[in-house]
Amino acid sequence: MGDIVVGISDYKCSKNRDDVLVTYALGSCIAVVVYDPVAVVGGMLHFMLPDSSLDKKKAEEVPAMFADTGIPLLFKTCYSLGAEKRRMKVKVIGGASILNDDNYFRIGQKNITAVRRIFWKNNVLIEGEDTGENYNRTVRLRMMDGKCFIRSSGGMTKEL
Amino acid sequence: MIKKILDRINTLPPFPVTVNKVMQILQSDDYAVRDVVEVIKRDPAVATNILKICNSAYFGPHKPIKSISDAVVFLGQKQLSKAMQTASAARYYKKGKRVYGADAVDLWEHSVAVAIMSQILMRQIHDREDENLYTAALVHDIGKLVMGEFVEEETDQIFRLVSQGYSFLEAEEKVLGINHADLGGKIAEYWHFPRELCQAIAFHHRPDLLSEEEATDLPYLVYLSDQYTLMMGIDGGMDGLAHRGIGSVLERFHLKEVNLERSLVQLYDELNRARELMEMQR
Repeated sequence: MGDIVVGISDYKCSKNRDDVLVTYALGSCIAVVVYDPVAVVGGMLHFMLPDSSLDKKKAEEVPAMFADTGIPLLFKTCYSLGAEKRRMKVKVIGGASILNDDNYFRIGQKNITAVRRIFWKNNVLIEGEDTGENYNRTVRLRMMDGKCFIRSSGGMTKEL
Repeated sequence: MIKKILDRINTLPPFPVTVNKVMQILQSDDYAVRDVVEVIKRDPAVATNILKICNSAYFGPHKPIKSISDAVVFLGQKQLSKAMQTASAARYYKKGKRVYGADAVDLWEHSVAVAIMSQILMRQIHDREDENLYTAALVHDIGKLVMGEFVEEETDQIFRLVSQGYSFLEAEEKVLGINHADLGGKIAEYWHFPRELCQAIAFHHRPDLLSEEEATDLPYLVYLSDQYTLMMGIDGGMDGLAHRGIGSVLERFHLKEVNLERSLVQLYDELNRARELMEMQR
């Protein structure tokens, strides 16, 4: 039991109600959090970039780096632990941008668009979303009840 | 408040003489390894750190290096200079020191990441590495370290302004009268860093404010390395992404978004190798 840390370009899944999955300091990266309350199976992905076409070789080595390779992996791993798609609650957090970015530093925005498109295509409803803005976020998923907490770089914690 | 902050600079330990001495020796291409070793050995704190750094995966020896002289030979001129800067800067970022509600070791991790990113960009743009840029990137946030001692109460005020749309820098100026970049530039002057380095530190969030002749690549590359490290979420637990974007920076270096996305992939790889450097303060 305890905190299971999800690094950058990393994902973790759990079916242990004592676990808390946590990822620190999402900047423009995005965390996808999933939870099946019946099977008590949850997972968290911390991806960095929207599209694996950037570097196919890297995507094979580290699929969790990209939205399009990381998200399927997160779901499949949860299925293997007993989760079912129709019961899974999905939350999306992160994708911050710098101020008045002149459309030059758009990775945060591109990540948000990528994640929304993937879920829309797969008929998955995003139940909670806390994205954009210009602060970093730390995310926790409490396995015992599926509650998801977000702490921003300003220090405020809220439940999503 | 400003006066109190500026006065604090004079109480900072000077940048280790060892570094300056080694740098001087290294400037000549036919330096004697023995001379360098002598200087490093006289500073046990730096010597210990050099061994630690040299054995990190980032500098990558195939077998463990146990003596300073082996380290000097193995690293060679350019890498040794980076290792020296890392060893010396590390002493300011001690665990337990509070900076804007975070710990100085978090700021150290951010600083190492920015230094590593600076070399990735340098290779991408100019096909070589640059020790000056490495140093500027490594200590770019030194102002925050000093500022952090004064802002226990003001931190909330600063974050409140940021949530109203101020940039972190603007919020610092409004609340404290000075921002951490300016302060860092002054600390670099106090350390007798070359002028170009002082400016790169002072303008690392706003290189566009430098005059045309002062606006060399150095401040822009520190800026870009910092922005991209912040986007990866490695912010030392403080300012997040509350900084102004300067669109012209990509044009200046003929970079496209895809280049930068690739450099983030590279940063990810190199950070894995630099784990020991980042965590040497823990």
